[in-house]
Amino acid sequence: MAGHTMRLKVYSGTGLASESILLDLPSAVATFLMDQNEPRTPAVAVASGPFVYIYKNLRPYFKFTLPPLDVNPLEQDVWEQAKEDMIDPLTLKEMLEGIRDKAEIPLSVRSLRFLAQEVQEMESFVNLHKGQPIKRQTVITCMSTLKKNMADEDAVSCLVIGTENADVLILDPEAFTILAKMTLPSVPAFLDVMGQFDVEYRVTVACRDGNIYILRRESKRPKYCIELRAQPVGLVRVHKNIVVGCSDETLQGYSQKGKKLWTVYLPAPLMTMSLLDQKSRGFQAVMVGMANQEVHMYRDKNLVDIICTQDVVTSICFGRYGREDNTLIMTTKGGGLIIKILKRTAVFEEKDTSLGPPMAQSIRLSVPKKTRLYVDQTLRERENAVAMHHVFQMDLYRLRLMAARAYVKALESSLTPITSTLQEPLKMNAVVQGIGPTFKLTLHIQNTSAGRPSINLLVSFLYDQSLYSMKRAFFKAPMLVPGLNYPIETFVECLSDKGISDVIKVFVLREGQSTPLLTAHINMPVSEGLAAA
Amino acid sequence: MGLFDKLAGWLGLKKKEVHVLCLGLDNSGKTTIINKLKPSNAQTQDIVPTIGFSIEKFKTSSLSFTVFDMSGQGRYRNLWEHYYKEGQAIIFVIDSSDKLRMVVAKEELDTLLNHPDIKHRRIPILFFANKMDLRDAVSSVKVSQLLSLENIKDKPWQICASDALKGEGLQEGVDWLQDQIQAMKT
Repeated sequence: MAGHTMRLKVYSGTGLASESILLDLPSAVATFLMDQNEPRTPAVAVASGPFVYIYKNLRPYFKFTLPPLDVNPLEQDVWEQAKEDMIDPLTLKEMLEGIRDKAEIPLSVRSLRFLAQEVQEMESFVNLHKGQPIKRQTVITCMSTLKKNMADEDAVSCLVIGTENADVLILDPEAFTILAKMTLPSVPAFLDVMGQFDVEYRVTVACRDGNIYILRRESKRPKYCIELRAQPVGLVRVHKNIVVGCSDETLQGYSQKGKKLWTVYLPAPLMTMSLLDQKSRGFQAVMVGMANQEVHMYRDKNLVDIICTQDVVTSICFGRYGREDNTLIMTTKGGGLIIKILKRTAVFEEKDTSLGPPMAQSIRLSVPKKTRLYVDQTLRERENAVAMHHVFQMDLYRLRLMAARAYVKALESSLTPITSTLQEPLKMNAVVQGIGPTFKLTLHIQNTSAGRPSINLLVSFLYDQSLYSMKRAFFKAPMLVPGLNYPIETFVECLSDKGISDVIKVFVLREGQSTPLLTAHINMPVSEGLAAA
Repeated sequence: MGLFDKLAGWLGLKKKEVHVLCLGLDNSGKTTIINKLKPSNAQTQDIVPTIGFSIEKFKTSSLSFTVFDMSGQGRYRNLWEHYYKEGQAIIFVIDSSDKLRMVVAKEELDTLLNHPDIKHRRIPILFFANKMDLRDAVSSVKVSQLLSLENIKDKPWQICASDALKGEGLQEGVDWLQDQIQAMKT
């Protein structure tokens, strides 16, 4: 692990195994096998500035420096003159500015720094530096590894380096010579390499111009280009597809030829992403660390798992750690290190938990052929749309009118179990108990007024006397105190044994008035007791 | 024959046979422990990672043990459950110095205890907190805490700190196991 404190730390288990101080900020770290020697201990490569530091057995082993770039001959001439004191710093400044604006080869760092100096400091700057020759260096932006000639787990690998001057270099693992060099239209930011150097390989590069370029063996220029809508934040290859995380909170899948396959919208900005490769089950998924302290795992576009962490995860790595094959290691923004081990029995559910159209939607329905009748009907509908609408509206108005009339009638004759008059606000419901032939009928009457008791109320039942008999079909209700529920019980006997039932109507009346205050219709159940007897 | 067998048993000539499962993660020292329990002339010098499982036999004062020494590697752990039925006791070995994988050991132990063939049996479990010789090994008390052994209420269990290379702590554990098996049989 290489950090901003410029230290290379190696952990074993849960403890720190070694710590080396780095000279400059690291830009990338990779492990690879350099040679066939036993035991097969991998080397650690740390890219930093224009150098790659190789560590073996936890000790510095080799330093590779990127080859210097061509210097602009005009710039060289100008400095040559300055060295011999033929021009003063101000003229030098003017000439360099002229070169900077026109020349194809950009200026060296020294000239650029000179141009940024204050006038009074220029003299001393020139005197200090004019003795040394001009050098133009580039720096490493990203690094990855590529198997040399075998696909084995423990095969020798080459380093693949992306540089600030938009080159991709492949280094020999033993001699550290440049085996291949490819030029890109922009500065590479993320690299993914598959294949073997001696056989066939494919380098996928996400660049700072928001494009992804795909290079192949023997191609000096990119073969395919994917133009993204937003800047890439991460690049992972799953089987043969490319998965890119973008700064617009999306995760996009592309085929290896650059055809877009799917897009997933993420709930938060993406911080980092990596591949989850469970070799024992042949399962591959993409892990995405996000700013909302969650790590999502996607298999294609399906979300298969979510891990919540205490802090924002800034880098993720999955693989063998010590003796455990499926270990997930995460570093957090606050400097934490999280190690998780995948359960042996864990199975990633292949369910579609992500947003978007469900799987069933993509299944084609077998729609029957359009019939003659259907065609005629649609034609008629198209021609007479206005008339049809008028007819429909007319009927709708009629229906509404009828409903309103029925409602008014019901209110006028108090057919409802709730009174509409304000003088006597009453509520009633009835319950029938028993299986027959005798039923118990309970009326619950409640006075819903705020503070006025109801007196002089009568209860009357209306029923078919050939079917039912009642001891008291007409009686006086007690005084109803507001708010209380009065259960009034009576018994009804069913006289028929033919298994038929009828409706009993209950009226609550006011003494001296013939229109009821409220009405309830009780659907009597079929008497089962008599049939059995 | 039956009578003769019984007679031999009474006289202590023929020892009772018990089947024991030896489980634990890879590199915890299962094979080393079993090897150390065998008579010194039968011990092997170099221990290699077990593939699948191996059957070992050794005798104590009153019992004859047949041990199924299971491989602890992840890909062979699904074999364990096929032998749960036959096992009359379990030896569970833990690498006390591997703090990182203590959770894995706990996970495997929980799976073991919840298996239908084990769950409702009063089967004795002997834990060896092995590799006590290593500098960063944690104590047996700490191991039992990390594995939440206090939650095992329906089975007799015992944890022994051990160093299988020197053989320390092994005999105490096996003596306990022998007592438990005999108590169970009578």
